[in-house]
This record gives sequence, C-alpha cells and structure tokens, in this order.
Amino acid sequence: MSEMENPKQIVEEREKEALEALTKENSVQGLTEWKNSFLSKKSPLMQLMSLMRQIPNELKAAYGKLVNDARNAVEKAFEEKMKKAQEEALKEKLEAERIDLTLPGRSYSQGSINPYWEIVDEMSDIFASMGFDIVEGRDVETDHFNFELLNVPKDHPARDMQDTFYLSDSLLLRTQTSAAQAHTMLENEEKKPIKMICPGKCYRRDDDDATHSHEFGQIEGLVVDKGISLADLKGTLELFVKKMFGEKRQIRLRSSFFPFTEPSVEVDVSCSKCGGKGCSLCKGTGWIEILGAGEVHPHVLEMCGYDPKIYSGFAFGVGVERIAMLRYGIDDIRRIYTNDVRFLKDFTEK
Amino acid sequence: MKISWNWLKQFVDLSNTTPEEVAKKLTFAGVEVDAITKMASGSNLVIGEILSCEAHPDSDHLHILKVDEGKKYGIHQIVCGAPNAKKGLKVIVARTGAVLPEVTIEASVIRGVESDGMCCSLRELGVDKNNLSEEQIAGIEELPSDAPVGEEDVLGYLQLDDTIIELELLANRSDLNAMENVAREVACLLEQKPMIKEYPETMQGKSAFKVSSLTDKCPLFGAREIRGVVTKPSPSWLKNILNAEGVRSINNVVDIGNFVMLLTGQPINMYDADKLPEKSLEVRDDYAGSFVAMDEKTYLLQEGDLVVSSKEKPMCLGGIMTSQECAVTPETKNVIIEAAYFAGPSIRRTSNRIGLSSESSARFVKGLNPSQNERVLQICSALMVELCEAEEVLRCETYDVMDHEKKIIKTSLGYLNARLGTSFSLETVLEVLQRDHMSLKNVEGESFEVEVPPYRIDMSGEADISEEVIRLLGYENIQSKLPEVSTSQGGYTEAQKNRNAIRRFLRDNGVSECLTYSLVSEKLKDSFSYLTKGENYHLLNPLTEDRQYLRKNLLPSLLEVAAYNFAHQEKDLALFEVSDVDTPTEKGRHLAIVLLGNEPITGSLHQRPYDFYNVKGYWEGILRLLGLNENRFRLENLQSEKEEFHPARSAKIYAGRQLVAVLGELHPNKIKQLGLGKSNAVAMEIDLGALLEMKTSPKKASIPPKFPSIQRDLAFVLKTEVAYGDVKREISRLDKIIKNVEIFDVYEGDKIQKGKKSMAVSITLYDESKTLKDEEVQLVMKKVTDMLSMRFNAEVRAA
Repeated sequence: MSEMENPKQIVEEREKEALEALTKENSVQGLTEWKNSFLSKKSPLMQLMSLMRQIPNELKAAYGKLVNDARNAVEKAFEEKMKKAQEEALKEKLEAERIDLTLPGRSYSQGSINPYWEIVDEMSDIFASMGFDIVEGRDVETDHFNFELLNVPKDHPARDMQDTFYLSDSLLLRTQTSAAQAHTMLENEEKKPIKMICPGKCYRRDDDDATHSHEFGQIEGLVVDKGISLADLKGTLELFVKKMFGEKRQIRLRSSFFPFTEPSVEVDVSCSKCGGKGCSLCKGTGWIEILGAGEVHPHVLEMCGYDPKIYSGFAFGVGVERIAMLRYGIDDIRRIYTNDVRFLKDFTEK
Repeated sequence: MKISWNWLKQFVDLSNTTPEEVAKKLTFAGVEVDAITKMASGSNLVIGEILSCEAHPDSDHLHILKVDEGKKYGIHQIVCGAPNAKKGLKVIVARTGAVLPEVTIEASVIRGVESDGMCCSLRELGVDKNNLSEEQIAGIEELPSDAPVGEEDVLGYLQLDDTIIELELLANRSDLNAMENVAREVACLLEQKPMIKEYPETMQGKSAFKVSSLTDKCPLFGAREIRGVVTKPSPSWLKNILNAEGVRSINNVVDIGNFVMLLTGQPINMYDADKLPEKSLEVRDDYAGSFVAMDEKTYLLQEGDLVVSSKEKPMCLGGIMTSQECAVTPETKNVIIEAAYFAGPSIRRTSNRIGLSSESSARFVKGLNPSQNERVLQICSALMVELCEAEEVLRCETYDVMDHEKKIIKTSLGYLNARLGTSFSLETVLEVLQRDHMSLKNVEGESFEVEVPPYRIDMSGEADISEEVIRLLGYENIQSKLPEVSTSQGGYTEAQKNRNAIRRFLRDNGVSECLTYSLVSEKLKDSFSYLTKGENYHLLNPLTEDRQYLRKNLLPSLLEVAAYNFAHQEKDLALFEVSDVDTPTEKGRHLAIVLLGNEPITGSLHQRPYDFYNVKGYWEGILRLLGLNENRFRLENLQSEKEEFHPARSAKIYAGRQLVAVLGELHPNKIKQLGLGKSNAVAMEIDLGALLEMKTSPKKASIPPKFPSIQRDLAFVLKTEVAYGDVKREISRLDKIIKNVEIFDVYEGDKIQKGKKSMAVSITLYDESKTLKDEEVQLVMKKVTDMLSMRFNAEVRAA
C-alpha cells in the first residue's frame, strides 16, 4: 500500500462530503438514515482511522487529530441537527394531538336528593347537634300507641275508619309520629330523662290534592325531665328556627289545641321572604305557621310511666313536606312523591 | 260558628274596637278566625218606588221602569229584567256609579233604551244566597210598602250593615258554639264584664207529658209543653240575627228553636204535641227499622241509634232530626220543646252511617254544657210567650241522671309558673282567671282552688288552668331558655350514621334519592318479592284500589318512578330509595336501586349502557363502606321463573342462610311490560337492615409490608362457563404467600375458539417474614398453573 498523497485533503473532503449530505436532511428519519450511512463503522469518514497504516510514523499523531476533529465536528453537527429535528417532531406530534377543549368533561355526576329527605336530614342534623337522640318508629302502629296513650279517647272522630287507615281492629298506619312519644317513654325502663326527635312517614285517609297527601312526613320532638317548662320549648324552637331558617328569624306562639299537650301552641316563624312586613308568601301577616307544640299533658306522662308530679316535658311536631314546600316554593305536595327527575335535579345536598 | 258583630254588641261594648282587632285577640287566645266578611255592601244605594213599569219593545222579559228615588235624586229611567218588577213596588236602587260586591253600575243603553241605575236583589249586595228564598234570588228585593223613598242608608235600613267573624273552632272549645260564651270570651279579652240577658220564668204548672230515657247515652232529657201557640213570621230583630248567623228564618216557632241554640249552644227540638201517639217521650237505643225524617226521606235505623219514641214509635232521631209524623207545622197549636243531652260519639256514628247531619247533631258531637238545661227551656218558654202568643207553659219532670258536680281544680302559683316558665305574680294570675269567669276559692298563700264554669267542658286539671293563664296573658311573657337535660349525648347511632353514609355514597356516585308511597296496588304487592315474602298488610278501609296494600319490597315503586320519567323523555336514570317495609311477619329496612338506559360518561356524548356490573359495583362499594368483607357473602344465580330479572344476568346474595340482596339486569319482557321500551334496566334491592346489623371487626391500620412483594401476571384460556369467582378463590387458597388475585383482562370473541374465553390475572405474592426468592415464587406459580389446568382444564398462555 502506497503512502497517501495528501491525507489532509482527503480528511477535509470526506468531512465536507458528510456535512453536505447532512444539510439535506431535516427529519428525524432522514437524519437517522444519514447517520447510518455517514457515521457507521463502514462509512468513509469512519474508515479514515483505518488509513493510519499508510501515514508515515512522524505524521501519525497529526493525522489522528485531524481525523478526530473532523469526526467530532460531523458528529456535533449531526447531534445538534438531530436534537432540533426531534424537538420539531415532538412539537408536531403534540400539535397533532390538539383536542376540542369545549367538549363536555367526564361526568362525575352528583345524584339529587328528594327535598323531603333533604329537610329530614337537615332537621335531624340540627337536633342531633343539640344532643337529641334520633328515634325511629314504625309505620304500623297499634291504636293504643297512636291514640290511647296520646289522650285521644276511644270515641274521638280522628279514630274513625273515615280518617285513619286500619289494618285490623287494633292495628293501623300511624297518623302522627307522636306515637313515638309513648314508645320512647314506656320503653325507657329506668325512666331516665328523654331528649329525642322521631322523623317518619304518617298516613291519613285524605284524598290526594295539591296540599293533602295520604302519606306525609312528620318530625316529632320530645323532651322529658324534671322542671321542663314552656320556656325550654320556646328556647329550643328559637334555636332550631335560627339554624333552619336563618339567624334573623323569630318565632311567636299562639294558643292552640292538641289532645296530648296542655297548654298547646301553634308556632309561627317570621316570614323569610319579607322579613315580617307582609307579602304573598305569608299572606300579608308577616308570619308563617310551621309547627304545633306544647307541654306534655300530665295524663300522657302518667300513662307512660312518668309521674307528672315529678316530671314534665314538651313536645312538638313539624310537617316535613310543609317545610320543603315553603322553603322551595313547591306548589303541589304530589310532586314530592312523583320524583320527576327534572324536578329533583335542583336538589343536591351540601 | 259565625259571630254577628251587631248581635255581639248586645253583650259587649264594642265601641272602642274593630272586628279585625277582636279577631286578632281571639286568634292569639286559641280561637282561630277563619274569615271576616261584610254581610252586604254597596255604595250609591237609595230606596226607590217604581212609578211605572212597561214592557221593553225589543225584549220578551225586560221592563222599562220609571223609579222615584226621592227628593234629592228625582226620577230615573231603569231597564230591569226582574220578573217581579211592578208599579208601586218599593225597591233598592243602585244608582249610576254604585260599587256592588261584583259589579259597578254605569249608565248604559240596553237594546236601544237608556238605563240609569239598577234595581237590586239582596244577592247583588253580597248576601249569602243560602240565606235567601228562591224568589229573593230570582228577582229584585221587594221592600215593605212603608219603606222610606229616598233613604240612602239602605244597608242600615235592612239591618245588613253587619260584619261576620267566622270562627274555626278547635276541638276543645265547643263552648264557643254558643253566642253567650263567645260574648264571655270576647268580654274577657277586652277586659269587660259581658251583659248576659236573663229571661223571665213563664212556667205555669206541670204537664201531663212524661219524659225519660232507657239508655245511658241520654242521661238528661228536659221538656216543656207550650199550649196555644200562634205561628207567624218572626219579628225583624229575630230575622236579622238568624240572617246574620246564616240561618233561614222560617216562622216564629221554628226560629225560636234556632235562636236559642245559637244563643246557648243547646240544640232544641220541637214536637207537635197533638201528633204524638201518647203523652210520653222515651229515649231508646234498641229501635231497628225505617224512619221518615222531616226532610221526607226514609232512613234505615239499627240498634244503637238513639231514638226518641212515643208509644215505642220513633218520633225523632235523637239529636239529628225529627220525624215527618210529629214535626211542627204552621198549624201546630201545642208544642213539646225538648232540651236533651245525647252522647256525641253515638250521634256521630249514626250521623255518619246514614249520611245525615244538622247544626244540632254537630253540637252534640262536639260536646255540650250539661248544666244549663232548665235555663234553656226557660228562655224558650219566655220567647214562646213573647213571640207566639203562647197561652200556657207547662213543665215536664226532667229525666236527669247526669253528674252535675262542680269542677274544682286545686293549683298553686308555683305550679303554674314552673309549668309555663314564667314569673307571674299571684295577683296577676288570680285577676286573669276571674276575668275568664272562673271562681276562686280557698286562696291560701300561693295555693288556691278554681271552680270552672260548667260550659268549659274541656277543663279538668291543673294543666288546663296553666293554659288559661298563658293564653290570656300572652306567650310573649315566657323567657326562652334551653333545657338542661341530663341524658346521654344524643346524636346519631352507628347504624344511622352508616345508613346516611350509604345514602351519601350513592348520591355522590350519581344516583338520585327518591321518596315513593308505601301503599301499593294489588298488582304491585307481590312484584319483585324476593327479600320479603309472604302476605302484605291489607288496609281494611283503603281510599283507592291503587293504594290498598303496605308494600313489602321497594323495587316495584321505584320502577314506577322510572317508567314515569321514561314517559317524560328522561331515559337515562339512576334512582334509589331507602324505606322501611312491614308485613305481619317481618319488619325491615330496604334499599332499592334502579338504573335505566345509559351511564353518562361525558353527558350524552359518550355513554355506556348500564349493566349488571353497575349495580354490583354499588353493592361492593356499600360493603367497603360498612367494612364488611366480601367473603362473608355468597353469590348465586337468581334462577327465577318469574321473568322479572334476566335469567343469565341476575344474582342472589346470601349472608349465611339469609338472602340479603337481589340484583341483575331486568328481563326484556319485564322491561317491555313496564313501558320502558328497549332500554337497559338494571335493579338491585338490598336488605339494608340486615347489613347494618352485621358485626364488623374494629378498624385497624394496614402497615405497609416490610419486605418487597412480588407481582406475577398470568393469562390462560378456559371454557366460557367457568366463573372468575371460582378461579380467584381456588388460586387464593393455594398458598399462604398468595396475598391477592386481581383480574385485569377477560376476552371472548373472534380471536378465540368458540366456547372459550381468555383471562388474565395479576397475582401478588408476599411473605411477612422474609424477602421472597425467585425459586419460591416460581414454585408457587407452578402450583397455580398446574391447578388451573387440572381443576379448570385451562390452557396457560403466558406467565
């Protein structure tokens, strides 16, 4: 093998050749192919080192540096270009992944809650936080618990087949959650103090219309201890009303009648819409009737095993649907039992 | 009870108050006021006289009148359609510009004839038509011939310038069905003394008539024989009162009965003495047979109905209505007046059964003052003498086995203040009770006795006294406080918390909470009855066929909700309800879920049809929430002939032997029958009560493993009918270092032999005591693959 005539020229030519070819490639693929032809072991540039044998010994070092420099220059040029090409390619790829940002998001939908349950939950939470037990009675009751023990005598019109659904001579569907009063007192064997509410469904033999329903919800409350007076009732209901209807609400008591309380009162709350000035919601009175209450009748306490000379108590009863209808402006009680999802969708519990 | 303001004025000084003010005071004292209405109203009214009455040339019923409206207004021409318009008649004229309850009068031209004003009927002035005769309703009011033409205070002249306060009486205040007692109540509220009129005793001797009772349901029966009465129209003062009270005036005799009832609350009954079969009246409850009442209708009476008989023949359906046979007529000369006490419940039962009630029966039902019998008869007699020219008043011996003991209640200031939460002084309390017509006795220190007036039949104990005090002094005197009750802490029980957590979990996962009726139809009562079986409670007295059974399962009701919404174009639904269920043999609490149509992934854009695994997912979520391990439950094919659930996509879940849930896709026939078209419908019903009662072990923190765990994936092909649950169970129990088995792929389809499916599971291996060596893992994995091929004939593809 003869000596190379002008090694420097050869190195420069091959470098130039490679760099020129590189300028033509811009894509990752083109660059990869270029790399395969110009930077592979068999490529002319890479082969330069193997020409070392033909270089006179005294020039070998210089030649080696020449070749290395050329190779480094080419590799550097390639890497720069490849990096740029890859960046470009990623950019393009991401651009191609562009989506329509205005399409709807994935549904993590919240189910609605029937306003009946919303009111029951909210009231239960309030009274639970005030230390009341939440008692659950049954829909099927005996006339003894539903009437007798609540001071409703045998011949009272409310006990007629006309007003009450009977299952047998002595079994009926409870007409009031007040039935839970007697249960709680009688079943409290040690006759300890009582502080409870009982939410539940009640039944009356009413034709269904906008304001009447043969099934409806009530929440009964009962507190029994020594020295419980109307002042305790008033204080408890004031606190409840403020939590349920807002800080600014006030209550007033009007004399009324229930067989199982004496004195009995109707409780009005100042109208939340007009604040008491009078509007269509409160029919111009500034007040809305929301519940019935009173001091537990001594005879009821006595029948349920609490000595009325020692114990006294108060009781109250709220209509669940009435509160829901007032609060949400629901025009017809039947809507609550129809569960039209277009109606339900507005109610979600916080 | 209606209160005539004008009548009330005879008892109480109302000059410084208004009907509205009195109504408000009554309301706060526990007497609800239903309405305040004017008896009649109208402006620009005047009394006129028809000077001429000619037929309208262009009409077959209209008249053209010339009406003299007095000096001030002169003569006007009025076109009038009343059939009774005639020359010389004194009439009420509403002059042009008059405002009547329903119309404003304007000058007009009626069929070419000018008309200036209108002649009125009382109906047009707003008088309740129930108080008017047919003639009065059909035509214009015919005023007496001496009516002063030109008089402008027409309502005053007619005694129609009255206001009616209508009371809605609560059950305890039946005493207010009497005007005298209303007057006492109003006087008390206005801090006055009522003026109760006393009537002279006119009795002249004893009657030969005997009265008695054979039943304890009539413990009191008083009567008087009034001889020689003359029937004629009542005087105007009486007519006006009855009119205002909404009672039609008939004649003096009948009107006296109604008047005394309104005044005292005691129903009065009258018999024509000469038509009674013998000189006796006997109350009995053993009569059965027909009875022709005064309304000319025949009623079938049975034993238990109270009957006033004479010679064993029914003369009156006690407290409800007299018989046709002996009712007083305008020809009656001699009258027996009855004032009795009939037991309310008995009257109510009879009245409800035969569908006949009256003002009188309503008063018996609500309860009467039992101690005013003699006085009531005295008032009747005096009025009979005054208004009916009665010649003789004779007294029958009263039958009276009633307890008339005075009600005396002992109480104390301390008791009252403690019960009410007030700090009234003794003086205040005693003063208000006296004003409330209670007599006070034996006041010693803070203790005293209260004698209750006999008409307050609602009062029996100390608590009643406390109510009188507070209702009259006002509830605003109560100082609010919160009860200091020494109970346990209160709040929710564990089961209540869990139930609420489940409800919230379902709502948070897109299921809406419903409330449906518990009463269902015959058709629904046995539908979807898997959890609770057996007989339903059946109402003895249902209102409608649709609501006659108490449901024992919830799915039928919830599916009805789904069908309702589907029919209203809401076709993708997720609904649930928690409710108690009751049957004669079981009490429980169920949770039902219904999923219909598609699960919204991105609204309606991307949807996935609901399937079995949606409800199963909710089931698993509920178990996790309650901390119940799935291993405690056993899942089986539902296998039902009922075509309610899809036969191959439905399951029963047991806890031990107890069925606790049914779930699955619905049968296509059921879906169609429910009117749900071809939707997907999936449903589940859970015995929530049973789940909530299951014991859970106390929660413990999971400490992350000390040594690394190893995961191996395994894919294999096996027959389609092999259940994953079995595969998982068998793998899990092969070795104690197998800690978890989870499926991550299952495939059935074109790329695999028919009748086969491929499954891929991920197995987690871990040893608590050391780091697992590769050989140990391989040994266990070998055990797994061997077992799969032996037990399930599986072909392992990749490990």
